[in-house]
Parts: sequence; structure tokens; C-alpha cells
Amino acid sequence: MRVNVTINGDQRQADDVWEGESLLYMLRERLGLPGSKNACEQGECGSCTVYLDDVPVCACLVAAGQCQGREVRTVEGLAAGDDLDPVQRSFVEAGAVQCGFCTPGLVVAAHDLLRRVPEPSDPEIREALAGNLCRCTGYEKILDAVRLAATRQASGAEAR
Amino acid sequence: MKNFEYARANNPADAVRLVGDRPGATFIAGGTDLLNLMKDGAQTHDRIVDVNGLALTDISHGNGFLRVGALARMADVGAHRAVREKFPVVSQALLASASPQVRNMASIGGNLLQRTRCGYFRDTGSACNKRIPGSGCPAIDGENRGHAVLGVSDHCIAAHPSDLAVSLIAVDAVVLTNGPHGERRIPFGDFHLAPGDTPERENVLTHGELIVGLELPLTPAAAKSQYLKLRDRATFEFAVVSVAAALDLRGRTVNDVRLAFGGIATKPWRSTDAEAVLRGRALDTATIDAAGRAAVHGAIPRAHNAFKIDLVQRALSRVLHELGGVR
Amino acid sequence: MSKSAPVRTPTDLTSSVAGGIGASPQRPDGNLKVRGEFAYASDLWHEDMIWGATLRSPHPYARIRSIDITEALKVPGVYAVLTHSDVPGKNLYGLEHPDQPVLAVDVVRYQGEPVALVGADHPETARRAMERIAVDYEVLEPVVDMEDAAHGRGTPLHPGGNLVRHVPIRHGDQQVTAEVVVTGEYEVGMQDQAFLGPESGLAVPGEDGGIDLYVATQWLHVDQKQVAQALGLPLDKVRLTLSGVGGAFGGREDLSMQVHASLLALHTGKPVKMVYNRLESFYGHVHRHPAKLYYEHGADRDGRLVYVKCRIYLDGGAYASSTPAVVANAATLGVGPYDVPNATVDCWGVYTNNPPCGAMRGFGAVQAGFAYESQMDKLAAAVGLDPVEVRIRNAMHEGSLMPTGQVVDSAAPVAELLRRVKDKPLPPVNRTEPVDIREMPGGASNTTHGEGVVRGIGYAVGIKNVCFSEGYDDFSTARVRVQVIGGELSALAHTAACEVGQGLVTIMQQIVRTELGVERVTIAPMDTTIGNGGSTSASRQTYVTGGAVRSACQTVRGRLFELAARKLGVDAVGLSLHGGKLVSDLHGVLADLVDVLGDDVVDETVEWRHRATESLDPVTGQGNAHVQYGFAAHRAVVDVDVELGLVKVVELDCAQDVGKALNPEAVLGQIQGGSAQGLGLAVMEEIQTSGGKIRNPSFTDYLIPTVLDMPPMSIDVLELADPHAPYGIRGVGEPPTISSTPAIVAAIRAATGLALTRAPVRPEHITGT
Repeated sequence: MRVNVTINGDQRQADDVWEGESLLYMLRERLGLPGSKNACEQGECGSCTVYLDDVPVCACLVAAGQCQGREVRTVEGLAAGDDLDPVQRSFVEAGAVQCGFCTPGLVVAAHDLLRRVPEPSDPEIREALAGNLCRCTGYEKILDAVRLAATRQASGAEAR
Repeated sequence: MKNFEYARANNPADAVRLVGDRPGATFIAGGTDLLNLMKDGAQTHDRIVDVNGLALTDISHGNGFLRVGALARMADVGAHRAVREKFPVVSQALLASASPQVRNMASIGGNLLQRTRCGYFRDTGSACNKRIPGSGCPAIDGENRGHAVLGVSDHCIAAHPSDLAVSLIAVDAVVLTNGPHGERRIPFGDFHLAPGDTPERENVLTHGELIVGLELPLTPAAAKSQYLKLRDRATFEFAVVSVAAALDLRGRTVNDVRLAFGGIATKPWRSTDAEAVLRGRALDTATIDAAGRAAVHGAIPRAHNAFKIDLVQRALSRVLHELGGVR
Repeated sequence: MSKSAPVRTPTDLTSSVAGGIGASPQRPDGNLKVRGEFAYASDLWHEDMIWGATLRSPHPYARIRSIDITEALKVPGVYAVLTHSDVPGKNLYGLEHPDQPVLAVDVVRYQGEPVALVGADHPETARRAMERIAVDYEVLEPVVDMEDAAHGRGTPLHPGGNLVRHVPIRHGDQQVTAEVVVTGEYEVGMQDQAFLGPESGLAVPGEDGGIDLYVATQWLHVDQKQVAQALGLPLDKVRLTLSGVGGAFGGREDLSMQVHASLLALHTGKPVKMVYNRLESFYGHVHRHPAKLYYEHGADRDGRLVYVKCRIYLDGGAYASSTPAVVANAATLGVGPYDVPNATVDCWGVYTNNPPCGAMRGFGAVQAGFAYESQMDKLAAAVGLDPVEVRIRNAMHEGSLMPTGQVVDSAAPVAELLRRVKDKPLPPVNRTEPVDIREMPGGASNTTHGEGVVRGIGYAVGIKNVCFSEGYDDFSTARVRVQVIGGELSALAHTAACEVGQGLVTIMQQIVRTELGVERVTIAPMDTTIGNGGSTSASRQTYVTGGAVRSACQTVRGRLFELAARKLGVDAVGLSLHGGKLVSDLHGVLADLVDVLGDDVVDETVEWRHRATESLDPVTGQGNAHVQYGFAAHRAVVDVDVELGLVKVVELDCAQDVGKALNPEAVLGQIQGGSAQGLGLAVMEEIQTSGGKIRNPSFTDYLIPTVLDMPPMSIDVLELADPHAPYGIRGVGEPPTISSTPAIVAAIRAATGLALTRAPVRPEHITGT
């Protein structure tokens, strides 16, 4: 089947999509966007978190057909050109990235949290990231990164 | 996964027809369970009918009830103010389910049809009476820590996985459907089926019958309700045991009560026996303990899940003590 | 000879290059990773590529009567269906013993054993073709009991029987008795590495009949050797390049899809991509050995150890993998970081039809650590001492003798580490209203506001060997090149040592910056065009590859001085490099290195070895088998809902000696991550098997800690330099995984008063129902 979907602001079309393919497969193997990761492909780890119509979901649990006419924003769509999103920058600076396989999903989940709750408490951060497994970091530096991004966004907002 | 056709329905009648026409067809809403089942080969379909275009997402007040559209997302229903205030057990059950990403995608209607996490059911290399009727149930003598002790049969002991369903049975929800034979209202307690000798049948829906919504009656008990879920890690995991309780006290006396359990039964398990122990009695530790014993009466333990019988009584005790303010 | 003062002293100049050792510069791959642009093995794509898939045995033990691929070949879109008869070289591989078939011949020994391969135009086509491969199995009764297997009971699964290795250690008086004796039996469940990036890679057939393999692995050269043998190709026709690795933790030391993808590629002439899904990943790599351990500790009334006797069984599953080395570790480290005058240790590693087990972070020391630390708590109770005090009283120190007779010849601050975690302030008790239930056992699931909750505190300390042991020729190869690119001084460091997420690439840059004073350091792709880098395991890469890079830098530096001496007409002696400048002891800054180099390129490759080790005596277990020992201690504070059996780890504090923290933030990351894996083993992680079959091969059923399970950590890092190691470093990655599990379980015991002899602890173990 043919799927038309807006991805990171661009109208994209995928042809000859097999009905059983997931949004994740379509992104990674058909549309050249492998940033969303294939750690479990069962909705159990959050590594493939993307925005679907502005709501974070696991791309591996979305059938390709379910995306028809909808808007998807992936980790590749967060940075403005060379300028990393504050969340991305904070992950690098806080040492929240080791192997990095969970990182794209966590970055999207944290990005969503900070849109909704600009100054989250620690329990709020933990709850928001509960759907994202990381095996390398023990999460401490991921929490640091989200706190840093929140501070950075707050000071950025004040500057404006 | 077998090949299948992907179709979109524009209205409920369209949806019912597209599925009803074809024995191998089914609906897809959030798809968070269905797609995994199809990937695993535990379930096969030749047509998937996408119902996400239907206008079934509203949460609205009716006369004496709250109506929740079948396509409302778990996250939205769990966070909805009226749900939180009038049906705390439902909100808590939803927010204790899965992960934020899954709750953002999964629908209320689909959650009721969620299938068991039984490892033998999900593993196409194993026999399973639910997946292949008559092939046998390796769980009975195999690894069964996650399995049920109530509502079991010689054919199946798989536990029902849904938290939401346990909470809904505790608030007397009604399932609203639209099918080839018209509209139906199904009391929640009648909706799911224990396995008996047909474990492949998990509910009373007929082929092509679409869940369009739920009615949640506003009651004093529902407004004072709670969901307790015990699991092997802090979040993002199914229940080992869970309890949904709704309690209407007049003074110290139990005027009305609903008690339901998850993780221990083959379907969302309401215990009217346990309720009967409490109704009309003063709520104290002795009656709570008696209710607990009544709730697990007839439970059949297996090699790895006997602990649940005691654990669920402790969990019930915890909930009732807290809800009833019993010290 | 008069000596004029240099214009700037070398000390001043050292600081002019940022990001050297001791600093915590950002990872060179960090930006790519947060943008989603870092190319992991599963992200690779090649024009005209096809997909490979593996048909696996559904049975833990079965004879194969026949394999019929006829129908599978008829599926449109299928390019190849291969079985054992298509393996051109040796159809056996293995890290230590080649006992594992590339593709099963006439018997399968574990559920998930590869039987056939399919190459097809789409992963789904390959799956459908696999469904059409008819394998006729005669199902056999699986061997699943490790103790039976160790003692010759049950069906032999391999020609030599089911014992893979027995290591005895006899130290001191074997007949000695003690006033206080505590005994215990312990079990450790099978843990999974659960790295997030599944096994994957791309095999591209070369024009020379060879293969170019892009894969996620821990050890390129051991892969290369095994792949070449299986393909029947000379080494130079099997070229490996590391792609992005999504975590490893030991699980990528053995082969997974490497030979399979290569076979399909050579057979079809097309590039072949293979990506496991999570289910397949659980079958596609070795796990941590489950263990059964019997311990007896004898002590005097003051709690001083007189002897330790133990028997340790490790279930290696169907194939040997690294079981022999795991057995040696569990045995040699089996009494823990204590002065034990007399020891009798026996450790057996065996074959069964359970899933194959091999390397995982902690490698044998984890299982032993759970048992000996549980025993130390029992001993403390028996003699009426505080658990920390009894440990300190017996703590090993520099100069102590291991049960192997090896002298611990660098810092062993066991007592200091214990004191440090003990002296940390305790977290407040969360009992004051309003209680934040998210901080309580059960978390947001409404289980308690404090009812039934008891706090417990537990301690543990662990020991781990660093680098490869028992006489293994353990080395790494590094190439460093310095040249001027675009007017700027640039260095390139090239090794075959695998970056798996731990940050070796950062460390390599830091070393080059420090040694050569060059700020711009590029890390070349890791591949087999350079010599062996050794395995990314045994906490060894900073030590060995770090040592190799430093050594290569030193050679390069010598060459640069010769060049300078020649070009500037000065004496090469007394020169040094700082911040891109050539400095003379006598004359200060002589020139910019950019000018000295001009168009010249200095490029040096070295092999670097740590000091040699010895094998263990097969009868007494004596020998200087290990290179270095690492130590960490934990204190766990838990709240346990003793009625509902739920545990909340409130705080997990750690003290570890790292010799020298080359990158302090990365050190913390290792300690945090390693501790989290230990927490997982303490309270949730176990591959459950039943009759040899894995019952929970998914992340829904095999649980790893989430962000809500991990508590805050307070960490003390000690830097007591090891004079034998480059920069004095001590391997960091594994020690925190060892002590975290027993500390948490000890804390649960303290809260509940229960014996809890098995990890992981589940709710039913606490409720006792």
C-alpha cells in the first residue's frame, strides 16, 4: 500500500509498504530515518519514541497504515540545523549518553515532558521517563540531563 | 505474520460491515496489543479495519453516568478530571498500566480485549488451548508464576492482563457495542468469559461487534474507590496481583461495596462473595480478613503461583483499611 | 653547563590542551547519538542488500532426523536457504573450545540453536520461508541439573562428558577447624545482559571472494578468526569493521550473526543485513551463568576468618563459550576480598541443555560475591559484630595473599571503601506526612503510605580481576599518526578495540592529547586493518588499549623529537611537547610543531602488553593468575513493605578505587550503570527456564530496572595508583556490579529478618507465602 505522512515537517510518501510493517520499520528502512531505535519492537523499551500528531508513542507499535495523513516528528526533527535542541545538548553535556541506543527515545520523551512541564520535579521526571529503558547509565545522568535542560530552557525563556 | 488487507472505516456501520463480512477480519484501534500478537504469530487476520477515524473519543456526562468513547486513549481517560474525581479506581488503574507512550496510543475499548501475557500463549512453539484449541496447556504443569488461581479450568489458567478491566468491573461499567445485530449494552460482569473448555473465547462479543463506548454509573462507592497494584518492578509491568475496591460507608457500616481482582484470575474477577461478607457489617479488621478469605475461596494453586492466594488477601486488606479509614 | 630558564615551564604548558586525562571532555560521538545520526549495526543499509534470518530449534535437546528446505526455496523473494552442509569451513566455533556448530548438524542442544538460514528480499519474506523449512526432530529429554552434570550423572551432551572445567583451590591447612562456623546454600538466577541494541550487522561480499563485515561486537579479531575458519577463508579475506554498538556487557563476546550473514552473502553474492528482534536476541547470545553455591566459613570468636570452604556450580548451558574462564574467576575470587588463611574451593562449570552462558559484567565474581557476602553477614550475626566491622576485621590489604598464593601487590583499600560507605549520611525516612507514594515501595501503584514498611541497611564489598588471566597473551595494538591538516596539528588514533558505549573513544582522545599536546584528535574507525585490540571485557580496555595508545604516543613523540633534532639542529634529548609546541628543557619553546612537521607525517604502531600472568596449578589452584584486582563497596538502604513483599531501594551508595580516574564523569557513569545492573539482579532480573526453555524472552517478562527503580547514588572515587598500570589506573567497569547485589539483598534481610538465599528476591520470598 501507499502511505502519505508528514515527517519532521516534510510531506513523505512510501510506496509498496507491506501492511504488517510498523511506523518504525517504515522510518528506518524506507524513509532513511534510522534515528528511532529498534531495541525491542514490542513497545517495551521506548527507544523508538516519536511524536505522532504531537503525542509521544512507540513507533514500533504503530502500524504503517495508522500513520496515513498524520504528522510524525522523530529525533532527527528536533535540532534546528546544526543547533541541537536544549534537551539534546544537555544529554551530551551531562554524560547521559553511553551506548546511546536508548538516547533518541529518551530525548523525545524528555522533550515532551519539558513542553508540558517546564520545571518538573524529580518524581515527575521519573514518571515521564518510566517508559524508556536504559541499560548503561543507571539513569542518574539522564536525570541530570533533564534537570539541566529544564534550567537551560527556563533561563532561555527569561532571556526572551 | 500473514498477509492482510488494511481498510479504514468512516463510520461505525462501515466498520461493523468490513469486519462482519470476513471471518478473519478484526478491528484495530491503538493496536498496541494486536500488532504484537500478529508479529508473534499468536493471532492472524486477513483484514484489519482501522476504526481510528470514528468519532468515539469523547468523555461526556449523561444522566447519572459518565460516558467514555471506546477510542478515548488510556492517558486521556486516566487524566480526565471527572474520571479522577468520580472513579478514582479507574484513573489509578489506567495510570498504573503500561508506559506513558503506550497509554498515549492504546484505546479504552482495545484494552478490554487485551490478551494474556501467558508465555505459552505468546510462544507459537508451545501448545496452547487458547491459541490452538485442543493442543493442551503446558502452563498447568510448567512455569505458572504469572498464572491464575481463580476461574481456571483444566484447559487454561492464563491470567487476564488488564488493570482497567478490573477497575471497570468494580464500578459496574456497561460496555456499549454496535454489531451486525444492532446495538447492545453488556454489563461488565457479563463481558469477559472464564476459559471453561473454550479458552479461545474470551468475551461475549460476536464477530464484527464493535465496542463503541462505556457507561460508568455515578455511585457513592465508585467515588470512593481505589486500585492497588503489586508488581515486580516499580512501573511498566503487569500486575502480580491487583485489587480494585469501591466502598460506600454509612458511618462504620458498609452500605455498598465492589471488590475485584487482577493477576489472580482468568478474567477480571469480581468477588460477590467477598462483597457479601462486608455488606451491612461494620468495617473492621476481622470483617476485612473474612472478606479476603471469601475472595479466594475455591482458588486452585499451582507449583509457582500459590503465594498469590495469601498475597491478594493482604493487598485487599491494605486497600480496605485505607479506603475505610480502619486503623 | 649553564642552564637558562625556559620561557614557559612544561607544567604551565600542559594545561594549554583541554580535554586531557583527568578531565571529562564530552564524547566525540555524543552529538551524533543525540541527533539519531550515529550508525548502529542495525542502521546499516546497502544498495541491493537482502535480509538474513535464522531458523532456530524450538527444542532444548533433540536429534535432527532431516531438514527439508524445498518448500522454503519456492517462496518468491527468497535468494538462499542454507544448512550445515553449506558451511564451507569448519562448522564448529567457540571462544575457548570450538564446540558450537555454526548450523546444527544432527543434534540441537538448546532452544534457539541455529539450524538453517534464509536470505530474502524482506524480513517478512524470510520469516515465511523459514516456516516452510521442514525439520524432523526426535525430541530428547533435556539435561537441566547443573550438579548432576558436574558429577557425571545424566546423558553426556558432548564427547568429553558434561564437565567443562573444574577448578580446585587448596590454600593453607585443609584440616583446620574453627570455633564459629556458619554455612549457607545460595542460588543466583540466570541474568541477561539486556543490551538495547540487538545483534545485527551487514555482510558485503568482496570482489576477491572475501567478505566485509560491519558488526556490533566486543572483539573484532576473535570474530575475524572464527568467521574465517567457518568460511574456510584466509584471515585477510575476512575484514571486519565495528559499527555502532548498542551496549554489550559481555553478551557480544561470542559470535551471533557474524558467520550466518557472511555465509548468505558469499552464497548469494549480495550484501546481507541481519537484525535480531528482542525475542531472538534472548536466544542469540550467552547469559550470566546461574549458580548454586555451598559455603562454610570458620572463624574465631572475634570474627576473624580461619577458613572458607566452598563448592560452586555454574551452569554453562549447551556450549562452552567462556565457561572455563568464568569458572576460574569464581574459584580464585571465591572467598572475596578477605584475608583467608585456609581455603578449600571447588568450582565446576558444566554443560546442560539450558541456554548457553558465558561472559557478563562481573564474570563469575558476581555469583561468588552474592554467596561470600551473604556469609559475612551470617558470620557477623554469629559473633555479634556489626556487618561492616566483621568485614573490616578480615579485609584484604596491599600485601595480602590470595587463596591462589598470589600476593596483592598494589592498593587494596577494602577497609577504607567499607568505612566510606558506612560513614555517608543516611537518607531521611519517608514517613512524614504527606508521604510521596512515588518514593515508597510499590511506587505510584498505591500500595502503601507507610503501612508495613520497614527500613533496612545492607553492606557489601567485592573483588574483581582486571584484564585477561591465567597466562593469556593479553595485548592491544594502537597506531597513532600526527600530521598537519589544513594548517592545524592533528592526531589520529587507530585501534581495533571496540567502543561499546563505555567511552573508550573519549579516553583515547584524552590520552593522545596528554601525551602529544595535540588538541585535535580523530579516532579512526575500529577495524581489522590494524592488529588485535583484545576484547572489550574484563574491565580491560582503558588499561590495555589505553596503555597501547600511550605507548604509541611515546614512540611518535620520539620520532617527532628526532625530526625536530634533524630539522632544527638541536639535541633530541631534553625535548618535550606541550600545547602544540616543541619545548626544550634548556631553551624553552623552540618551535610550533606545525612548523617542525611541515608536510611530514609521523605514524607509529605498537603492540602493548600488561605484565604476564601464570596458569593455575590444576591440583592446588596455585599461581599468579591475575594482573590486577579492583574493589568496590556498596551500602544499600531499602524500604520493604514486609506485608506485600515490595522493595524500594532508597539509596545505593558506592565507594570504589579506580587507581586514577582518566575521565571522572565516565567513571561515575560506569559505577552508576554497573550498580543498576546489580540492583536488577537483586530484585527482578532472571531468565526463567522450564525444561531448558526460556519462559520470559521479552522486556515485558524479563524485567530490567526503570528510572523509577534506580535510587540516587552517592559515590566516592578513590585514586590509589597501581604502579604496574598505565597512569596507575585500575579497571572500573565490573566491580560495582558485584557488590551492589549482595548489599541490596542484605538490606532486605535486615528489614525482614529473612534468610533470602536466592537472587533475585521476589515478593513471595518476602511474604513467605
